[in-house]
Amino acid sequence: MELLAQTLVNGLVLGAGYAVIAVGLTLIFGIVGIANFAHGAFFAMGGYACYLLASQGLNYLAAVPLAVLIVVIIGAITEWMVIRRSLYGNSHHGSLIVTFALGQAAVAGLILIFGPDPLAVPSPLGQSTMRFFGIFVTSQRVFIFVCSVLVLGALGLWLRLSIRGQQVVAVAQNARGALYCGIDVPWIRTLAFVLGVAAAGLAGALLAPISTIYPTMGYSALIVGFTVVILGGMGSIPGAMLGALLIGVANALFETYVSVSWTPALGWALVIATLLFRPQGLLGQLQQHRH
Amino acid sequence: MATHFGTMIDRKLVAVSDKNRSGRTAREASYAICSLFVIAVCGYTFTDPFVVTLAGYTCAFALFALSINIILGGVGEVPLGQCLFFGLGAYGAAIGMGKLGLPFDVSVLIALVLSVVLAAIIGVITLRLTGAYFSIVSWGLTGVAMVAATNLDEITGGPLGLFGFPPIEIGPLQLSDPPTYFAVTATILLVAILFLVALRRSPFGAAMDSVRQNPHLARSVGVDVARVRLKAFMLSAPFAALAGALAVPYTQIVTPEVFSVANTVDGLLMVLLGGAQLVIGPVIGAAVFTLIPQAMNLDPNIRILLFSSVIILIMMFAPGGLHQVGVALRDRFGGKTDDDRSR
Repeated sequence: MELLAQTLVNGLVLGAGYAVIAVGLTLIFGIVGIANFAHGAFFAMGGYACYLLASQGLNYLAAVPLAVLIVVIIGAITEWMVIRRSLYGNSHHGSLIVTFALGQAAVAGLILIFGPDPLAVPSPLGQSTMRFFGIFVTSQRVFIFVCSVLVLGALGLWLRLSIRGQQVVAVAQNARGALYCGIDVPWIRTLAFVLGVAAAGLAGALLAPISTIYPTMGYSALIVGFTVVILGGMGSIPGAMLGALLIGVANALFETYVSVSWTPALGWALVIATLLFRPQGLLGQLQQHRH
Repeated sequence: MATHFGTMIDRKLVAVSDKNRSGRTAREASYAICSLFVIAVCGYTFTDPFVVTLAGYTCAFALFALSINIILGGVGEVPLGQCLFFGLGAYGAAIGMGKLGLPFDVSVLIALVLSVVLAAIIGVITLRLTGAYFSIVSWGLTGVAMVAATNLDEITGGPLGLFGFPPIEIGPLQLSDPPTYFAVTATILLVAILFLVALRRSPFGAAMDSVRQNPHLARSVGVDVARVRLKAFMLSAPFAALAGALAVPYTQIVTPEVFSVANTVDGLLMVLLGGAQLVIGPVIGAAVFTLIPQAMNLDPNIRILLFSSVIILIMMFAPGGLHQVGVALRDRFGGKTDDDRSR
């Protein structure tokens, strides 16, 4: 019973981290209409920005928001230089290849700047553990969980309550209709892309201390993000959160009770089962034309 | 929704007269004979074993790029999981030789058959999906393959992989001898190109074109879209598997890393560099992709950075690849506008 509770808690914490990655991915898919294969690279950039700031002597807690800011700036430049010019109104294939190449270039750049070896990001929360009802959780994981819940909650409230957020929702539902209502669709798309990569950067900065950072860390994050997003339904934010928690808990249970080394294959089994039996995902809208 | 890898395809719909066609056949036969001659000459002139082996490996990898282009240029999907079959070919050759004691050619043949069967099974599931969904799921399946190759120690040798093969030979041809290796891979590549040229001109090639350009229209005029896509996928698999098997004499080791997405990316970059609409586009891309870094002695990461940037620029400004740039230049400076070479 203790073991099961501990496993469930670990899964929830893991799922919270996944949710931040996946919400960014699903936001970009819903608003900008592209599957962002460069998402993993922005995740890695968040980790590296955090490392860079922490190695300058900055406290980890101050480094996280600054790292997100750096990722936001890089994301905005990318959007302005590449995404905006090549993708809008285009097929998914062009966007797929461009974002994939962007991710490749960014990973190669990270290797050239920082080297291929894993680096450790120190965190003041790293060593201590907390105890709730007999279950041990490291402080860093508690921090990840709290941050994720706060950020996702803030995003949800923003989308629901603010005018800008409602505009974002409108563009996701019907971009052309939104344009006819006088919403500045290109600006909303830029905003959504930057918000999405910011979420990736935040996840990278949050997860950096519990796993070391290395240039290709983004690939596994990207794959997890895609499994979560497909499971929840592409473009659906509640779906991404539900999918993240499900995959987090499923991974933790599988690791504890079945096999650690086969765990990476579990997400794909779930995804293929989803696509076979409920192609729109758990909470996705059934679309007439899925690209 | 429609996919525009090369808009110049439309111009090729102009009917080719019979006279033109016979002239074309003769011209292509002469191309083929010239290439054979060049292969023979290269095999004898270049003696530096490293360069010759690298050239042979490039030919093997160009074969992989051709396989990717059957999907990308043929039915218009981005096959991020094509290295699944590449790895299957490599592991098939390695397991056949190292574990079962079969000769190289027999193990490769078994691997080819297996790759077609696997493609049929995977294709039935994944080809229902299109666009990003197809790419993501096929990429994920390579991840599953990598996990499987790492964990099934008894068959695959685990994370360390398989190595230490007996001398690799096809009949009397010793593939460990660099000039022979180059000649064999180059000849296989040439045969593959001829086959694909014939395929593109066949009714099936036309069906693939129609599926890529507009699946709804294709369906409405009686093309069985799902069937065409599945056939193209099953056709692409043995090319990739053969490429994987032919890469083994160069690499001399097969690790779970063959399933890494980096392999697919290399092939994809080659296809996009050369242009997806030209049958030999991937081969041009493969040559550029290997030769320039080799000549300039580039670090592999600088190479990826450079070529990825080039791909972004190409996708932004010339989605047909170097081929489209060439055609545009030729049209501009008043060359003939016979654009039928790729077909």
